Amino acid sequence: MIVKEYCMYCGECAGVCPHCLIEVRETSIDFNEEGCKDCGICIQVCPVKALAKED
Amino acid sequence: MKLIETDVLVIGAGPAGSSTAKHAALNGAEVILIDKKSEIGSPKRCAEGVSKEGLKKLGIEPNSRWVTKELSGVRLISPNGTDVWMKEDQVKLPEAGYILERKVFDKFMAMDAARAGATIMIKTLARGMRKDYEGYIVSCESMGEDFEIKAKIVVGADGPESRVGRWGGLKTAVKPKNMESGIQFEMVGLEMEDPDVIEFYFGSVAPGGYAWIFPKGDDIANVGLGIVSTVTDKSAYEHLVEFVKNCPATQNAQPVELNVGGDPVGGMTKNLVKDSLMIVGDAAGHVNPLTGGGIITALEAGMYAGEVAAAAVKEDNYTEKRLKEYQEICKIEIGDSFDKYLKTKDYLLSLSDSDLDSIAAAFQDTEFENISTKELIKLLIKVSPKALLKLGKLF
Repeated sequence: MIVKEYCMYCGECAGVCPHCLIEVRETSIDFNEEGCKDCGICIQVCPVKALAKED
Repeated sequence: MKLIETDVLVIGAGPAGSSTAKHAALNGAEVILIDKKSEIGSPKRCAEGVSKEGLKKLGIEPNSRWVTKELSGVRLISPNGTDVWMKEDQVKLPEAGYILERKVFDKFMAMDAARAGATIMIKTLARGMRKDYEGYIVSCESMGEDFEIKAKIVVGADGPESRVGRWGGLKTAVKPKNMESGIQFEMVGLEMEDPDVIEFYFGSVAPGGYAWIFPKGDDIANVGLGIVSTVTDKSAYEHLVEFVKNCPATQNAQPVELNVGGDPVGGMTKNLVKDSLMIVGDAAGHVNPLTGGGIITALEAGMYAGEVAAAAVKEDNYTEKRLKEYQEICKIEIGDSFDKYLKTKDYLLSLSDSDLDSIAAAFQDTEFENISTKELIKLLIKVSPKALLKLGKLF
């Protein structure tokens, strides 16, 4: 997952991740890429569109 | 690895977590309250409105350090600009309230918890947990140090991202259609018609939600909106920029802060407890599905959670069956009304901009005596036959 520099670490992506794969810290985010099913929900809900799939 | 033992571990020091910690400690439990942030209450993720009635019910005295504005009315604005004014000097407004400074308020609530006897650990992240024969062992990290906290009861007050409940087997993942994407500028230089009145803007300006202007000073306000990402292609930020550009009150204002955050508006989570585990606040869906407001319900649910947790500790009984007392109280005091508000929200979201304009026009011709959320819905039922069909039996 690409986390753009302007991510505000609000945690909305973590709240909707069906597999609980996102850990949001104060100023960073960790994605458990291995468990990701590419559903894209986290990308869809981000209020500032700071997430993108890697090509 | 260092192991700290406690009766109750509360994860997250927002209003729900601090209230839980305070009431568990006041009732005799040994409590640790952790928060991943370096400053409790910051950054804010909320429009900062609370009702006077709600604070009074919880025995919290308003304090000039965290009240920025006392409100005297409400203005509802439909898509074509038809507005409905409800001011305290003309109608009774039982839900009128205050705009807070959350950065100060949340710290005050945490300080209350500390004064009640809770231990507070900031910049402390919970990374996972495993079941122990008598509770949970939670893996934590603080300032580069890894350690564990063993607790008889763990309370997840970790907000809309809510991982703690899921670690313990509760279904707290929020569906995208139930997660409102909230975004807000705190702005200066606003030209409000009345700086003591909160304003709500409805319709396609904020698909799936509404926009707001919550005044914090004569020319200062939180200007924000909540949208549901499944009904719009634009981001919440794009909607907000457009709103600020087009709204007469904000056209010449300047942002001094940007806040974002999810608001779980799908109603209260069905199961709030498991053996040795409770969830509270946004993590438990303690957010009014219609208004998106959750500060008072978070504090209230935290009070119930803390009291039940402390009683369970005294009885040395941390079973799901024992902790269910908390869930049952929440259902009666919070959840049942949320079910009605959820149905109302679903109905309102089915309306077009022109439907909303017609309702606003009908409201303009109505004499108000007493206005609360419930009274407004009753009035909606009165002026709209469609609403009568959908909501008539509920209110």
